[in-house]
Amino acid sequence: MSPQLTLQTPLQIPPQEIPGYLQKLWSQDQSDNKGANTFCLLVWHPAWMEQKLVSTGRINGPVIGVQRSDLIDEARKIVLEKDLPHSTPPLAKEVFNSFKTTNISKQHEDLRGQHIDSAISQLQPRRLITLAPNLEQGHDLETLVAAYCPLPEEGGGNSACGDVIVLKGDTNSLKEGLCIVEELIPEDLPSWLWWNGSLDEDPDILSQLALPARRIILDSALGEPSHCLNVLQERIKSGQAVNDLNWLRLRTWRETLAMVFDPPNRRDSLSNIVNLDIDIQGDHLVQGLLLASWIADKLGWESTLEIEKEGQSYRTRFKRPDDLMVNFRLMPLPLGNPGINPGQIIGLRLICQSTTNEKAGLCVILASESGECMRLEAGGVASMELLEEVVPLQNSPVERDVALLLESSRGSTSPLLSNATPIARKLLNLIESKK
Amino acid sequence: MIQATNPLRIGLRQERVVSPQCLVIFGASGDLTHRKLVPALFELFKQRRLPSEFALLGCARRPWSDEEFRNKMSKSLAIEIRQSPKDWKEFSNRLFYEPVNLEHPEDVIKLRSRLEEIDKIKATHANRTFYLSVAPKFYASGCKSLADAGLLKDPKRSRVVIEKPFGRDYRSAQSLNSIVQNCALESQVFRIDHYLGKETVQNILVLRFANTIFEPIWNRNYISNIQITSSETVGVEDRAGYYESSGALRDMVQNHLTQMLAITAMEPPGHFDPEAIRNEKAKVLQAAHLANELEPWKCCVRGQYSKGGSKSNPLLGYRDEVGVDPNSTTETYVAMKIFINNWRWQGVPFYIRTGKRLAKRTSEVALTFREAPVHLFDAAGGTPTSNQLILRIQPNEGAEFKFEVKSPGSGMRSRPVEMEFSYDESFGEPSDEGYVRLLADAMLGDPTLFTRSDEVEAAWRLYTPLLEMIEDSPWQLPTYPYESRTWGPTQSDELLAKDHLLWRRP
Ligand SMILES: NC(=O)c1ccc[n+]([C@@H]2O[C@H](COP(=O)([O-])OP(=O)(O)OC[C@H]3O[C@@H](n4cnc5c(N)ncnc54)[C@H](OP(=O)(O)O)[C@@H]3O)[C@@H](O)[C@H]2O)c1
Repeated sequence: MSPQLTLQTPLQIPPQEIPGYLQKLWSQDQSDNKGANTFCLLVWHPAWMEQKLVSTGRINGPVIGVQRSDLIDEARKIVLEKDLPHSTPPLAKEVFNSFKTTNISKQHEDLRGQHIDSAISQLQPRRLITLAPNLEQGHDLETLVAAYCPLPEEGGGNSACGDVIVLKGDTNSLKEGLCIVEELIPEDLPSWLWWNGSLDEDPDILSQLALPARRIILDSALGEPSHCLNVLQERIKSGQAVNDLNWLRLRTWRETLAMVFDPPNRRDSLSNIVNLDIDIQGDHLVQGLLLASWIADKLGWESTLEIEKEGQSYRTRFKRPDDLMVNFRLMPLPLGNPGINPGQIIGLRLICQSTTNEKAGLCVILASESGECMRLEAGGVASMELLEEVVPLQNSPVERDVALLLESSRGSTSPLLSNATPIARKLLNLIESKK
Repeated sequence: MIQATNPLRIGLRQERVVSPQCLVIFGASGDLTHRKLVPALFELFKQRRLPSEFALLGCARRPWSDEEFRNKMSKSLAIEIRQSPKDWKEFSNRLFYEPVNLEHPEDVIKLRSRLEEIDKIKATHANRTFYLSVAPKFYASGCKSLADAGLLKDPKRSRVVIEKPFGRDYRSAQSLNSIVQNCALESQVFRIDHYLGKETVQNILVLRFANTIFEPIWNRNYISNIQITSSETVGVEDRAGYYESSGALRDMVQNHLTQMLAITAMEPPGHFDPEAIRNEKAKVLQAAHLANELEPWKCCVRGQYSKGGSKSNPLLGYRDEVGVDPNSTTETYVAMKIFINNWRWQGVPFYIRTGKRLAKRTSEVALTFREAPVHLFDAAGGTPTSNQLILRIQPNEGAEFKFEVKSPGSGMRSRPVEMEFSYDESFGEPSDEGYVRLLADAMLGDPTLFTRSDEVEAAWRLYTPLLEMIEDSPWQLPTYPYESRTWGPTQSDELLAKDHLLWRRP
């Protein structure tokens, strides 16, 4: 389904007049229409790469704030042009910094916040507030407002059921505009912040927008790994409902691995795991660590203080509840033409060996569907039962994942994520001590 | 020791979360509420599928306070609470109680202000699901009082759940439907059939429509007959009052067995959409009829359990049970033969049976395929057994496929073997109680697993010839006695013997 534009052309109104204007808009409508009874979504939407590519004329405008294919293709071309390592993810900071904005083309239209992906519009948000910072300095705060309604075939009627507010300007003027944002958030509805950018940027704005009562959607694959895990952990600790897109993308790995151990006759092997290997794409370690930490948490393993670096890979050990050890190896692999999301898992191997029954070994290998070479093999474990599964690729557009979170969150952090995060943080500390 | 649950499974399911709302249960002091509804809600809460903006308001006549209601509920959930005391503490804060007599419309009007107050403290956004867990005589008046109090005005923010039985016959179901539809849109009405909440019943849909190997043979060309069984080992227990006026036909066949029939026999819907599915179910029920509508006694057998059991554990006959008329002719067993008049099923008999105090507790659908056209091999058992696919609804949820293989040795003798799929052994966690799924779906406003008005009416219409005969000339459909803990009266075996068949012994 293609994204949709707001039905009305947005009206440009001075920021201080927006609350009054909105109140009028809703009270003029039929008296019992108070708008969709759903949620308010606040989006930090820098779309830096898209802005830069459009303004240099490398892709066509307008800027819409969606990860469209021409944008990704162009970014991949830059990786090759600028001789960056082929394993550089297309939207990485390195790619962004590698080309200049010298030949700025004509002024482009910017439709961020007005282009609403159908996955999100189907949920009938009551209010969408988009903060769209401008790449170039010298833009004053500009605010746009429009009533918005999903098309009838999506279950919408004829009456307006939501509205859209866009705040534009350079980062400084947006910062000034932040004070009106709180006023615009309906008190009686759940409110969400989607931080659709790197976690490294603008901690000030992040903390101003991510008030504790607000549910937050972020991506722990965007930003420096250690910082990503810090933000994740701090936010979870503070009791905020945290939804991590990087964690969400792990769901097929969690599901496939759980499925392997569903038959009761395999259950025992879970307490006999001796090796866990995880291969990831590139060197953003967070997703790999989160998966290992989830397994460790579920099986009651404790992390130890041991760490070794061996070539590219990191080795550490966990202590099982029966005091025996599990060897864990995390292997970052520089692959050409990597996916958009840094550090995605591409393979996992688990070896289970019972101390009492030598023959009862089990080797589980999960590989991502992406077709990369299967590095993990059941080498030297020929006597074991071998189970190989392919994990479906998680290639849904980020808007679809965000919609899934909006739809399925209960208003608190998933306990699986909140248990796994501190373990991942500990592991990363160990790894960093070795760097 | 094998762990009961797969530790990697815990907390993994990504279920839809109910939107903020208040669930209002009428009949909050009754059996169903404390035995099924509140436990199902607590389970949903523990599974994190209720939002933080959720409240449950219990209503009945007795003058309980919020605190008394919470205490009563905590008694019926004692075991679960012991396992998760923290969850209960949080959950019970969301329980409220308001005395309401459904015979006094002013009580329902008063309820409005209580609901508004709850909206304020629990942020439930005037979004409400009303659950009528009261005697059927209150279904119509309950809906009316709710509508008169303006509580069903907003179709997006209000729903009514109606328990079984929905009507006593075609006519009463029709008139109840018309009253209910005067009060609310069909999309606001959720008629419960708790069989549809069972994973295994839903699995029939998945098995049929997610695999390519079954659908091509799921018709008259390959299937010779279908048996649908739901048997209980228990007797009438303490529900004699209700059962005397209902009997097996109304209590089990018209709703649960007919739903199993519809799901087994329906055409594939164009897409997985509530209306598309319900259209197909309604269509197939409209095409179903008793094998002999003019002489129903030729295709239907009624029975009633008599005493049985052993010396050490004697079992009472139905007529000796407390609260049962000693001359009662209420059936505790019924078996019948049905045809479906469409291209797919023309000429394939569907045999349906249900009863209390039968030999075994089981619910299943057994499809028997036609015999191989030529018998090339000697069968170990004399004649080759037909292929059978058995869908087990309960207990031991799963499926089983019977087919012939070569038996070891030098000759070419065949014998039947079974291929098994068991829910317990394939999935790492036990499936939810039917009410967990149904309550969540109703609150989510998803009607897929609820019966639509035309389905209910078609189901009643199907059994009208029997109900009329039982009413007008019961001697033509006598209730034959059968010994407790056997497979029903011998007359039901004769029903199949006429077609050279036997009932399956599950
Ligand atoms: N129990 C089951 O397993 C089961 C299974 C399937 C379907 N059902 C259906 O579910 C419904 C409830 O069954 P149940 O077994 O829970 O019945 P129950 O134990 O007899 O409870 C009936 C409830 O209705 C309340 N009530 C009676 N008169 C009322 C009035 N005038 N106004 C408001 N509330 C009134 C009673 O409380 P007060 O006396 O305090 O008013 C009580 O809470 C029935 O329709 C039944 O057919 C039950």
